Amino acid sequence: MRMSLVVCALLFGTVVEGCASDSRAESAKQRPAQSAQDLAGRFVSHAEHIQPGGVAPFRGLQLVNPHDGDAKALATGAKLFVAYNCVDCHGADGSGAMGPSLADGRWHFGGTAAEVFESIYQGRPEGMPAWGSLISDDQIWMLVSYVRSLEAGKDVTSENFGGKTVERSGH
Amino acid sequence: MPAGDYSASRYSALDQITPSNAKNLHAAWTFSTGVLRGHEGQPLVIDNTMYVVTPYPNVAYALDLKTEGQPLRWKVRPENAQAAVGTACCDVVNRGAAYADGRIFYNLLDGHTIAVDGVTGKVLWRTTMGNLGKGETMTMAPLVVKGKVIVGSSGGEMGVRGWIAALDAATGKQLWRSYNVGPDADVKAGARFHPFYGGRDASRNQGASTWPGTTYMQGGGTVWGWLTYDPELNLVYHGTSNPGPWNGKQRPGDNKWSASIIARDADTGEMIWAYQPTPHDVWDYDAVNENILVDLPIGGRTRKALVHFDRNGFAYTMDRATGEVILAKPFVPMNWSTGVDLHTGRPQLNPEKTPFLGKKVSFICPSLEGGKNQQPAAFSPATGLFYVPTNNLCMDFEAREVSYIPGTPYIGANAPEVGGPGGYRGEFIAWDATVGRKVWGIKEPYPVWGGALATKGNVVFYGTLDGWFKVVDARSGALLWKFKVGSGVVGNPVTYIGPDGKQYVAIYAGIGGDMGLLIAGDVAANLPYDVRERGTTLPDLSRWTSWGGMLFVFSL
Repeated sequence: MRMSLVVCALLFGTVVEGCASDSRAESAKQRPAQSAQDLAGRFVSHAEHIQPGGVAPFRGLQLVNPHDGDAKALATGAKLFVAYNCVDCHGADGSGAMGPSLADGRWHFGGTAAEVFESIYQGRPEGMPAWGSLISDDQIWMLVSYVRSLEAGKDVTSENFGGKTVERSGH
Repeated sequence: MPAGDYSASRYSALDQITPSNAKNLHAAWTFSTGVLRGHEGQPLVIDNTMYVVTPYPNVAYALDLKTEGQPLRWKVRPENAQAAVGTACCDVVNRGAAYADGRIFYNLLDGHTIAVDGVTGKVLWRTTMGNLGKGETMTMAPLVVKGKVIVGSSGGEMGVRGWIAALDAATGKQLWRSYNVGPDADVKAGARFHPFYGGRDASRNQGASTWPGTTYMQGGGTVWGWLTYDPELNLVYHGTSNPGPWNGKQRPGDNKWSASIIARDADTGEMIWAYQPTPHDVWDYDAVNENILVDLPIGGRTRKALVHFDRNGFAYTMDRATGEVILAKPFVPMNWSTGVDLHTGRPQLNPEKTPFLGKKVSFICPSLEGGKNQQPAAFSPATGLFYVPTNNLCMDFEAREVSYIPGTPYIGANAPEVGGPGGYRGEFIAWDATVGRKVWGIKEPYPVWGGALATKGNVVFYGTLDGWFKVVDARSGALLWKFKVGSGVVGNPVTYIGPDGKQYVAIYAGIGGDMGLLIAGDVAANLPYDVRERGTTLPDLSRWTSWGGMLFVFSL
């Protein structure tokens, strides 16, 4: 938690919730007990992964966003998105820049809350930092709320160049 | 050499292709690099072998030009950390290799320099130069000078501290390394350092004193552009990138020697002179563009000149021995400055177009992509003209506070771009650097992000973002021939004599780089097979090109 406080202290004039309380410890309590017999419970399940042999779907870690539906947390997530420099990789409004778009509804590692949490928490191989080592779980959940709010209606399936301007449509 | 010669003239003495026969050019053969990202840079041709280096993962190929079908002599797939892909600011480009004494030298995106045996493809040495975890990557083409491989860092958007270094070509051992920002000892500004402007006393420790505290430690000033070398003066010339972060309020002062042109002793790395075209750069203008070394007749005598087309929109004709600015004239539409004071070397600012925290400034020209970016110009001694691929874009700029978090961007601004005045977004121009005047120009619908090649045959080659490879008359600019290649061009043409005695011209087709990627918005989905929404600056570009990674070779 000490590192989180250090980072919180760096933020300029940003209202950052989750800085003051030891939310990592609280989140840890919410995690299910794990045993060697229940390896599946240690991993996030990804809906797009193949289930070999047609057996029952992989049942992974049950992660629930404690801020789901909380507009205030989502707004804080938007501020965190700027404060932690996410914006300069993923672009304004998550439209894509150095890193991939978060607003087109096309997810490399899945778009469920648990999958997005996992991406932020442990990072991804092509340069996504593992933020779980620096910021609190609670802040990651607020970022999840914000990031998942970006995609609504933004996917583009078709581009039509027949007119004077490009017409884009999707879904 | 990546740019043909030490002076980076990108001029070839080959003359089979001329204005009268260029219409007979046709595709001779092609080669897929297997990589679909921005193909900046150019191949090298030595002794009937063509050497190609791809964008990340930086695969190198040696193609046998003597055998029909151009089979591979070898292929190198170096170890190259995957995290580099998301650490590079502006696509995963590589600007090419250098050749010397039977070896190929090039940089890996993850911060290594490697040497490859030109005959066998064996990796002879591999030296770690950059710290990827702190945001350092490498994209530039090395220059080999007297057995030293000179390389520099990328990462000016990541809060890195830029450097340039020399490695022993035989062993890969580092011989010298100099930062470009910080105390004199760190930037190698010693007794031999004499900047033309400011005087020697005033110049002491400017690399540190023009920054608050130790903010230069995150101050940028990287070396991701082209290097040149004057054997007579034994000086290596390089530009340095923007200061970090873009928000100027976090770094009041000139921020030397970011956004600067620097001359260094090739043997020791000592700074001999430095000149800062954009002091306290708050526009992300850099000064990283190439410094072309030519002797020019100016004012009735021959000057040992250095010609530099800066992102800030001024073309500088300088004395390359002293760093004096002989003249500086706008080569693209601009409004941030009204001119350069030749007594002080400083630009005269337009306060209405100078961003500061808390004020959104609209329509600053040129945009942060600059009047010209990495796309290198060419010089023809036959015409005495420079051939310059340019951008015509403007931007709004809004700075904001930013925290330094190692391994994440350190930018602190939003700067959306739009087309510049005149209804075109790029122009390929011929420039007379003895007086600072445009001789002719070819307006293009998109920024011209590929480099130029001039030849003794009085033709000039360049490619466009919408995928046209063009040949124009070096004297008039008349279009002689064009061919639609498979993807937008952001690379640089080269020419060579094949084993059959014919002149060939080669160009990469593979859109990307800062313009193709960020502005065209190709990363909006980051998967090349997706239909993807484009950025706002060039919304119609996707009609003309998609991702690619091809080498095209043409002949008569």
